[in-house]
Amino acid sequence: MDKTEALYGMVAEFDSPGALLHAAEATRNAGYERVDACSPFPIHGIDKALKIPGSKVPWLVLGGAFTGGIGALALQWWTSAIDYPIKIAGKPYLSLPAFVPVIFELTVLLSAFAAVFGMLALNGLPRLYHPAFNHSRFHKVTDDGFFLIIESEDPMFSRSTTREFMAGLGGTHIEEVRG
Amino acid sequence: MSSMDITDRIRVPAGAWGGKISRLFMVAVVALVLCAVGFVVDREQFYFSWLTAMVFGVSISVASLFFVMLHHLTRASWSTVIRRIAEALMSPLPLLVLFFLPVILGNHDLYHWTHHDAVEHDAILKHKAPYLNVTFWVIRAAVYFLIWTLMTRYFYSNSVKQDQSADPNTTVTMQRRSAPGMILFALTITFMGFDWLMSLDPHWFSTIFGVYIFAGSALACFGTLTLAALALRRGGYLETVIRDDHIRDLGRLMFAFSVFWAYIAFSQFFLIWYGNIPEETLYYIHRFEGSWKYLTFGLAIGHFIVPFMILMSQWSKRRPALIGFMAVWVLVMHYLDLYWMVMPTHHKEGIHFSWIDLVCLVAVCTILVALFVRKLSQNPLVPVGDPRLPESLRLHNDY
Amino acid sequence: MSSVSLPESKVTGEIVEDPRTRTTLVRGGLDFAGVTETICRSIEGKTPIGWYIAFGISLLMLGVMVASIGYLFWVGTGIWGLNMPVAWGWAIVNFVWWVGIGHAGTLISAILFLFRQKWRTGINRFAEAMTIFAVICALVFPTIHVGRVWLIWFALPIPNWELIWPNFRSPLLWDVFAVSTYFTVSLLFWYTGLIPDLATLRDRAKGKIAKLGYGIFALGWRGSNRHWINYEKAYLILAGISTPLVLSVHSIVSFDFAVSVVPGWHTTIFPPYFVAGAVFSGFAMVLTLAIIARKIYKMENLITIDHFDNMNKIMLVTGMMVGYAYAMEFFIAWYSASPYEGFIFLARAKGQYAWAYWIMITCNVLVPQVFWFRSLRRNIPVMFVASILINVGMWFERFVIVATSLSQDYLPANWGYFRPTLFDVSTYIGTMGLFFTFFLLFLRFLPMVAIAEVKGVMPEADPHHKPAEVK
Repeated sequence: MDKTEALYGMVAEFDSPGALLHAAEATRNAGYERVDACSPFPIHGIDKALKIPGSKVPWLVLGGAFTGGIGALALQWWTSAIDYPIKIAGKPYLSLPAFVPVIFELTVLLSAFAAVFGMLALNGLPRLYHPAFNHSRFHKVTDDGFFLIIESEDPMFSRSTTREFMAGLGGTHIEEVRG
Repeated sequence: MSSMDITDRIRVPAGAWGGKISRLFMVAVVALVLCAVGFVVDREQFYFSWLTAMVFGVSISVASLFFVMLHHLTRASWSTVIRRIAEALMSPLPLLVLFFLPVILGNHDLYHWTHHDAVEHDAILKHKAPYLNVTFWVIRAAVYFLIWTLMTRYFYSNSVKQDQSADPNTTVTMQRRSAPGMILFALTITFMGFDWLMSLDPHWFSTIFGVYIFAGSALACFGTLTLAALALRRGGYLETVIRDDHIRDLGRLMFAFSVFWAYIAFSQFFLIWYGNIPEETLYYIHRFEGSWKYLTFGLAIGHFIVPFMILMSQWSKRRPALIGFMAVWVLVMHYLDLYWMVMPTHHKEGIHFSWIDLVCLVAVCTILVALFVRKLSQNPLVPVGDPRLPESLRLHNDY
Repeated sequence: MSSVSLPESKVTGEIVEDPRTRTTLVRGGLDFAGVTETICRSIEGKTPIGWYIAFGISLLMLGVMVASIGYLFWVGTGIWGLNMPVAWGWAIVNFVWWVGIGHAGTLISAILFLFRQKWRTGINRFAEAMTIFAVICALVFPTIHVGRVWLIWFALPIPNWELIWPNFRSPLLWDVFAVSTYFTVSLLFWYTGLIPDLATLRDRAKGKIAKLGYGIFALGWRGSNRHWINYEKAYLILAGISTPLVLSVHSIVSFDFAVSVVPGWHTTIFPPYFVAGAVFSGFAMVLTLAIIARKIYKMENLITIDHFDNMNKIMLVTGMMVGYAYAMEFFIAWYSASPYEGFIFLARAKGQYAWAYWIMITCNVLVPQVFWFRSLRRNIPVMFVASILINVGMWFERFVIVATSLSQDYLPANWGYFRPTLFDVSTYIGTMGLFFTFFLLFLRFLPMVAIAEVKGVMPEADPHHKPAEVK
């Protein structure tokens, strides 16, 4: 590892979801602010332990839904009743019941875009590089490893006491990561 | 596997609800007397009002039978703490056959196809006569009630038996019996809809009508169960047994079924509107004429958009009081939906609310509620011997 | 306030499927690493020889499709058997059949998710993959049957030199929006589920190309719980909007028929009836594929017999719904007293297409009845045969709807009989090649079971889980 790079933080491994949850709670209680927990699947309760705010994805989806629905109505109304009105099957130009299917589909389509791309944007993904990957065992985070990260920017961070603190919580393979 | 303790009150002390039940019956008697007055004053109006109210009560009770069977069939555990309420709600069904007697008396005023002279001069009605004739129609109604009676008796008595025996095999057997039970349920509620409601306009037909009746009835049933659960909690029963998590799930079901109702209602309307052929469109033309169109649009908003908007968010589903309000709302909507199906036959020119509508509804509802509450007080309020009760008590929803 | 003790349970006689316990979803004592290993082995290990054989056959069939379509473009739709009065031949039948097959994937991934059915995690990934490939196959047919395929973009509201717009009051245009939305949303849903698993493959990859490939598509996923919270919310919302979407898609497909006033097509039950049929045939296809893939890739610990049992129950339920719809159609055809409706339904059962009608009834209504019996629900050869028969039956259902109503309409002078040509058959068989080519590539390069989701439903994933004491 290139020692000249800036210190990112301290990473410790835990052996089970329960141990990680416990460690996360203890870390927050000890006063650490800039903490993250990484796991192969979501662990319920960690969001509360780390005081992660609720997701904003639903609001983005609401925006997508309204854009899609109103956009579809506007599109159909303008093309069928204003720009090129043409009588078909004896239906009125502005046939609201007949416009329902496309309104519904575009509402769903834009909601889905908002959900997926909004989720990625909120997560700051895609991202080519992250210092946590420099931990020697971090590849296990997508298998069966449970990791707690305390960033060096945290006001309470200290290379010695933080290491001891993490060891006291039962963390193993405690490493400083740079990058 | 291990036994658990419940610290809540799960049994109604003997006679504790006696006063309430007799007061309900008293109101019912007064309402029935007023119904009789209505019968004398305006016989036809009474029959139509009674039919609407009667189907309202019966459909909720039948849908409750559906809820119980669905619970068994899917091996659900979240609903175990609510199941006894549903069982009590379905158990008045055998007595509800009495509600049908006025409809038999009034068949000539209600159903155009009972008029012999009309059938004689109408090729379509003549064609339908093998199905739409009074004798067969009464026999069919008797068969529906017989099937419902047998099914409710079976599921209720076995459930109560399990309170003592705590035999898991009872659960397994009830699960097995629910599968054929579902078929009987689907057929009876469909043909009930055809016989009692669709044939009010004997020229009109719609293949989806049975599903439409089912969607509305199930929604109303979930509303009733929610109200009963909240009322029990307020009355000091099952306070920690039925938790907000369970109420949330009931709220979700109401949300889902109001959307499902809208889907079915839109499918029926839309295909008839688009096809635009006279034998079908007349039904909707009546319902877009005069003041009826306000009820038609009102149902689209009240039966779908309002519950959809309110029950969609997690925020509202965490508020039992709001869910209770929506439960009342969907019940009102179910009544209006039935009103919308029945009344345009009688008042073609527009909505004409009558005091007889109200007294019939009060009579049916008070009798149904009184029977329901009496049944509820006779046995533990939760199926204590059910092997999935501990799982239900622990219910925790991540989403 | 008194405390009530629940009675201790007493079993009388033998008990099957004890309701006091829930079956474990992951068998064979697998832990988290074991799950990863079992699933990834099928990708990282040596490719079985059977895969190459199957892939070769699929490519051959795909070649047949390409050749058939090439010839179609050269000559025109006259190479197919469609002609008046049956101007809507196999193309629409195949289209509806393929779209319908896709529906089970969405049902498993979205609807079962909303119902908190944890067992779905064993089968959702490849069911979703199947959805996407089936929808691709479906999209082939409306695209090529327009004849002048280079003008297909007329179906989209794109400003053009003619200054005209598509007709938004036409069900065929709703199809364009419905099926393309369905494809896009299914793809997004599938990909969202794949992100954590692609990260798993990235972290396990040995070769540089594999590491780069999986790495790009994993988007830098690192399992942060700050990410999971948004991820789970997005996943829940996708499930929530996919549920009405899947209903809408086949409903709109049914509108293609039902908004017209053709006897046998114009009936109000069509939307829910088509949805039920779609889920029915889709589950049959999932089952067919799952039985084979599970065997070849040794996934018995993740896709258990209980999964199959549940799927067979769903097929029984949806099969009964389809049967209910058949019965309602027949009853109302008589009840309506419309001579045209009555005629067409009798013609289905007794007329020139009676053979197709009775294949349909046998496969769709009678065959699923075997699933009333627990032993047959858990018998792999029985369910394999049944699942194939059901897909045959569902193809014939669409064929019966299209062919009977069109061949004998209001004008007896125009009556006819539809006969497919060689190119009808070769195009249809060819799309199967397309489907299996995609599917085999999927099995080869992507995890066929959702790794992160399976781990998430294991009891050990609950942070309050206490390891069981060794007895």
